[in-house]
Amino acid sequence: MGETLRNLLTLAWLLPLVGFLVEIYALCWTHRLSKAPAYLAVGCISAGFVCSAAALLTWGAQTQWAALKDTHHGGDHSAADHADSHATAEGEPSVEQDHPADAASVLPAADGEVHAAVTNGHAAHEEPSASVPTQFGGTYYTLGTFGPLAISLDWYIDSLTLVMFTMVTFIATCIHVFAIGYMHDELTEDYVDHEVHLPDHSHFHRPGRFHRFFAFLSLFCFSMLGLVLAGNIFQVFIFWELVGICSYLLIGFYVERQSASTAANKAFIMNRVGDFGFLIGLMIIWTSLGTFRFYDVPATHSADGHTSKQEVGLFHLIRGDAGDLQVSKDGSSVYLQDGHGGLMKAGDEFRTIPYWLLVAAGLGVFAGCIGKSAQFPLQTWLPDAMEGPTPVSALVHSATMVAAGVYLAGRFYPVFTPEVLLTIAYIGCITLFIGASIALVVTDIKRVLAYSTISQLGYMMLAIGLGGWAAGLFHLVTHAFFKSLMFLSSGSVIAGCHHVQDMERMGGLRRKMPLTAAAMLVGVIAISGLAIPGLKPFGEPIAFSGYHSKDAIVATALAYIKLNSVHGLLFIIPLITAGITAFYMFRLWFLTFSGAPRDAHVYEHAHENPAVMVGPLFVLSILAATCAIGGESGPLFKLLAFSEPVPAGAASGALAPVQIALPTHEQVHAVHDAAGSMALLAAIIGAGLAYALYCRKLLNPADISRQLSGLNDFLLDKWRFDDAYDYLFVRPMRIVGQWCQGFDRHVLDKILNGSASTMVTVSAWDRWFDEKFVDGLVNLVGQVAHSAGRSLRGVQTGQLRQYVMWIAVGVVVLFAALFTALPK
Amino acid sequence: MRLGCCIGERSESEMVSSEALLTAVVFLPTVWALITAFFEPKATEAIRYFGLFGTALTFLLTLVLLGAYDPAADAKTMQDGMQMYFSHPWIPNWSVNYAMGVDGISLPLVLLTGLISFLAMLASWSIEKHVKGYVILFLLLETGMLGVFLSLDFLLFYIFWEVMLLPMYFLIGIWGGPKREYAAIKFFIYTLFGGVLMLIAMLMLYFNSGNSFDLLHLAAIGQGKVPEFVFGPTFQILAFLLLFIGFAIKLPAFPFHTWLPDAHVEAPTPISMILAGVLLKMGGYGILRIAFPILPYGAQYCAYGIVALGVFSIIYGAFAALAQTDFKRLVAYSSVSHMGYVLLGMGVWKIGEQADQSIYYWQMGVNAAMFQMIAHGISSAGMFFMVGVLYDRVHHRDLNKFGGIAGLMPQYTGIAAGIFFAGLGLPGLCGFIGEIFSVLSAWQFDKLLAIIAAAGVILTAGYILWTIQRVYFGPAYKGEHAEAIVPANSRELLIGYTLLGFAILLGVMPQLLFNLMDPSISLLVNNMDSAYRALPDVAAKAAETALVP
Amino acid sequence: MDSAGLNAYLFVAAVLFVSGVVCMAVKRNAIGVLMGVELVLNGANLNLVAFSRYTTLGLDGQVFALFVIVLAAAEAAIALAIALNFYNNHLTIDVDRGNEMHG
Repeated sequence: MGETLRNLLTLAWLLPLVGFLVEIYALCWTHRLSKAPAYLAVGCISAGFVCSAAALLTWGAQTQWAALKDTHHGGDHSAADHADSHATAEGEPSVEQDHPADAASVLPAADGEVHAAVTNGHAAHEEPSASVPTQFGGTYYTLGTFGPLAISLDWYIDSLTLVMFTMVTFIATCIHVFAIGYMHDELTEDYVDHEVHLPDHSHFHRPGRFHRFFAFLSLFCFSMLGLVLAGNIFQVFIFWELVGICSYLLIGFYVERQSASTAANKAFIMNRVGDFGFLIGLMIIWTSLGTFRFYDVPATHSADGHTSKQEVGLFHLIRGDAGDLQVSKDGSSVYLQDGHGGLMKAGDEFRTIPYWLLVAAGLGVFAGCIGKSAQFPLQTWLPDAMEGPTPVSALVHSATMVAAGVYLAGRFYPVFTPEVLLTIAYIGCITLFIGASIALVVTDIKRVLAYSTISQLGYMMLAIGLGGWAAGLFHLVTHAFFKSLMFLSSGSVIAGCHHVQDMERMGGLRRKMPLTAAAMLVGVIAISGLAIPGLKPFGEPIAFSGYHSKDAIVATALAYIKLNSVHGLLFIIPLITAGITAFYMFRLWFLTFSGAPRDAHVYEHAHENPAVMVGPLFVLSILAATCAIGGESGPLFKLLAFSEPVPAGAASGALAPVQIALPTHEQVHAVHDAAGSMALLAAIIGAGLAYALYCRKLLNPADISRQLSGLNDFLLDKWRFDDAYDYLFVRPMRIVGQWCQGFDRHVLDKILNGSASTMVTVSAWDRWFDEKFVDGLVNLVGQVAHSAGRSLRGVQTGQLRQYVMWIAVGVVVLFAALFTALPK
Repeated sequence: MRLGCCIGERSESEMVSSEALLTAVVFLPTVWALITAFFEPKATEAIRYFGLFGTALTFLLTLVLLGAYDPAADAKTMQDGMQMYFSHPWIPNWSVNYAMGVDGISLPLVLLTGLISFLAMLASWSIEKHVKGYVILFLLLETGMLGVFLSLDFLLFYIFWEVMLLPMYFLIGIWGGPKREYAAIKFFIYTLFGGVLMLIAMLMLYFNSGNSFDLLHLAAIGQGKVPEFVFGPTFQILAFLLLFIGFAIKLPAFPFHTWLPDAHVEAPTPISMILAGVLLKMGGYGILRIAFPILPYGAQYCAYGIVALGVFSIIYGAFAALAQTDFKRLVAYSSVSHMGYVLLGMGVWKIGEQADQSIYYWQMGVNAAMFQMIAHGISSAGMFFMVGVLYDRVHHRDLNKFGGIAGLMPQYTGIAAGIFFAGLGLPGLCGFIGEIFSVLSAWQFDKLLAIIAAAGVILTAGYILWTIQRVYFGPAYKGEHAEAIVPANSRELLIGYTLLGFAILLGVMPQLLFNLMDPSISLLVNNMDSAYRALPDVAAKAAETALVP
Repeated sequence: MDSAGLNAYLFVAAVLFVSGVVCMAVKRNAIGVLMGVELVLNGANLNLVAFSRYTTLGLDGQVFALFVIVLAAAEAAIALAIALNFYNNHLTIDVDRGNEMHG
């Protein structure tokens, strides 16, 4: 079965890549006005959806839909046992903390004992799915092998992978179809971009880029699916970067607009800041654990007698089947496990990883998630990313890519220590509040949705941090549906209003575009989490998807603070923010669709969009309403929960400032109704306030913002993060860059040029010495000889008679000398 | 034709044919240059095509070399891991040999040289001045580069090293930009200075090894396998430092890098491609081929310094690139930054208690360093070519005057974006593998340095994206000669697509290269490790017999 | 014969010599200078022969004298040729005019 699933998903994954390669060269095989590239892209991604759905069905059929039968918190006895064991384990945190330490310290002495105990846990966990495997992993090919170290491209398929694949391909298909209509004005030889400001105040003209848009969308789909399919954390990083660059290309689609290219740069660089942390996490994992792989590779015995050793994946290295961390007694290090309940050995020593390194690795990987999922403090890129065309915002910057951070946090959950989980929870909590608070004041319809996305991603992170793994990913899927629906609706509004995005200029549009208004209303109700109170015909309230998923998160939070009362804020803030969410979402709807038109010109020209755009809205509305049907006993939640790693919080951290206990499914279920009521109450209050302010006009919102002008400005300035980063990082970077440049110019080159000119000076001295002294001596000899000759020249008169006189005188003198000097 | 099987079984004819092959690879360009000398100087087009044909033929020969090389051959049975090894006395009085051979470390670089030379020659159509002289010097340069990578005799290596310098000097000094004389002499003196340090080290080794220039013999001595001679610890450190500085200048590493921006800015485009694509690799190659195997103790002693220098170069180059306004200067500084990863990967040799594990990380690091050299050879040659294409049209490189190129030259912009992304280290392109693998291997060596190196990814993204934004994006071109901006011609597209294709190929299937290199690198790493561990014993034994130099 | 004695010969020779020198020094005519030279040479010849006769030198002096006479003849021939050339160049044989060799 693994082969079938792999082939199906690989096909779904690679089809968009083929699509990209063909579409980017569309001008070579078709003309600029052709819609063929779009059809090709839609064909690729919808074929991908078919493959994914087929894979999901195959998986379900092969496992006899064990996932749907297995209820983690219902009457099923095995699950109840499962939950019970955790309840006892976590009821007394202090005991729980000591337990693994004891086990570890005992292990070297009595290995067999512990081994047996854990094997039991193993069997209990496997029981529901009997002997049919539910997770599959394998290797495509190896990128590099260095001795025992190998980095490869792997695939890993479990129910989470399948749900994500189906969700991504489905939403992408809808958005591709929508984009055919939305990007229609690119189908021209002469596109006039009114947003570009040329120096001579004329409009900018360029050929349309319809095909390129679809090529980039296809490339994005390829990257996103690769990320989901990845079987090791390094491969996740590869596709992590690739979705980043696709996001860059799509945000900067209107490359002529300064704001667009700047936003694209900002998005990529902010993501890289997160990836810096991710990279550190990877380094720690690689060095301490020696593998990136998620799954275990069993030992193989090939026909020629060659036996390969079992390779334990990351998850089983860190945690046993019962989700236990084997912390050493002093809490300083964690023993690595061998996947069978025993501990890894290297020679005679147990292999360990220092506890703080494990925490750092978790934080590092989560830093990547912070960047990608626009969490505090790296959230500022997401609103700017709205510079891209609206289908991009819908697909990349709300439904799929930004959710990849949450997906990774979920996927990597077993490696996170309690400290990391607490960090995740608080980051999520801060983010969801910041996002919601800014969404209260912005008036750009897409930016409201962007901030709402940030806020909702915060909810997902919060859920994962609180141990509500399934709740977080549940919200990821439901959010993907209703947020893509809302973005597409806003895109429909923008297209209908001829690229007006400011809600202040809208109003009353439901009369012009009723279908869009209805679709948006579905999304607004879904995200607000409204339900009909008290009515539970099928054991669950009648509500759209967002209610169920948000309910699950709030319930987890409530159960969590019951166990850890010091972290009360982790429940209160999400609850309040649930009300704020309802308020700003209804504000958006009322401002846009209800009341009287505020800008007659916009209203006059507004029109409903063609079927190619409204169709996807319709499909997505249905799914946004119903995808979570049945709530936490519905199929979607159960499918996701089936892949839930055994509770990561089973062992409390040695470094945690306070002891943390994660709630079990039982405990969450116990407070579910109470939490649901509170969340619903908050949502109703929020929605009601919005109705009162923006529809009934009981109070003038402008007056309120004038009263609170300081706060209003602060929020409008997005909590001043951008300014702070500009001062703290961007400018110092440039300055350091200038220093380096200056150092090169003024120090290194000065030294070099200085030494060169010193050389020249020294050689000048040398020349002087040579000329004055060495040459001087030689010249002196010459000169002396010369002047001697010159002075003797006068004697040489040429007068014969004079010479004779000299001879005579000479003779006389000689004689005289002879006779006086010589002795007789 | 598998030439490199067991050395014991190699017949005389195989030896001869491998010798003929290696000699042909190295000296074919020289022969071509000699023939070119007989051309009529005015027949520029004929000379260009002839030169192109020569480089293409050389590239084909290097491919034959690749075909003849067998990475799976058992390294231990061969001449110290060398295949197609041969050695003839050349100057017997000084025991200089004409010795060449190829292994997994030199072969990728030989292939890179062949490829980049061919593409650079193809990019030389924009050269109008003294075409004949240009082609002759270009071909001589190629001989020098190939000789450096293939020779296994230190003096031969040194000669090729210096021989390559002169054509480069003239190529920059005659065909360069306005400040070409300054740049050429700066390049020349820097490299010559490094060459002198290398010469000193070479003579140190020569006189302490019983007069040998044979690199394999010297390596055997350095690794304690020759009982008669020992390179003692102090000697090793000193010689290593001399060699390292000599090679670091070429690499270039901070603070020996300032010749690079000037040389690049002034050199004509094809010469920049050669300079960045091949010449810088000689530094890294020299360290791996000479400094490391011969002086393992010195290498281990200096490991921290090497890594720290590499990391500092990464950050420093990236910061300096952020501050540039000259397009070519920016790419030059990006080279400084990228070559830092080479030093980083090479140096992560940690001698720990559990050395059995960390040596594999070092092996990975050296592999990554080699990969980064090849990857940088492709991406930086591509980047310089991309700059050159623009420069040929508008005759300036001021980043602040560009903009809107994407609309004017769409296909070129696509290729350029791909190649710049390769430089940025985007997965799926060659730069990623080299950078990430070397950073991953660094954590076990030193955590702080690894973190600083990882921070490089942010800065790299910063300066590359900012550059792309300034040059290619935006509404309109702001500089002069706007009318000259026409879409890239087919020759330019061919070069661009070839480089981009290799960047993608290596990025998606790095194992092609790793499989070629790893056996040799593994051998090197293990030899050095055991040599380092054995050195105290060997030195002690030698001290008894008083043979330590 | 003995009455004359060596001193007388020497005296005559000295007179001849001095006369020759004076002749060379004061004559501006090249021929005159030549004649002075002859006088000096013959003065020397006389000395040679006288010393040969009055001392134990044997025939050496006479042989020298013979050589000097032959030399003088050759010298006179060359000197006359020079004088002739001198005249051709300067249209005079006044040696004071021939000062081209002055330094």
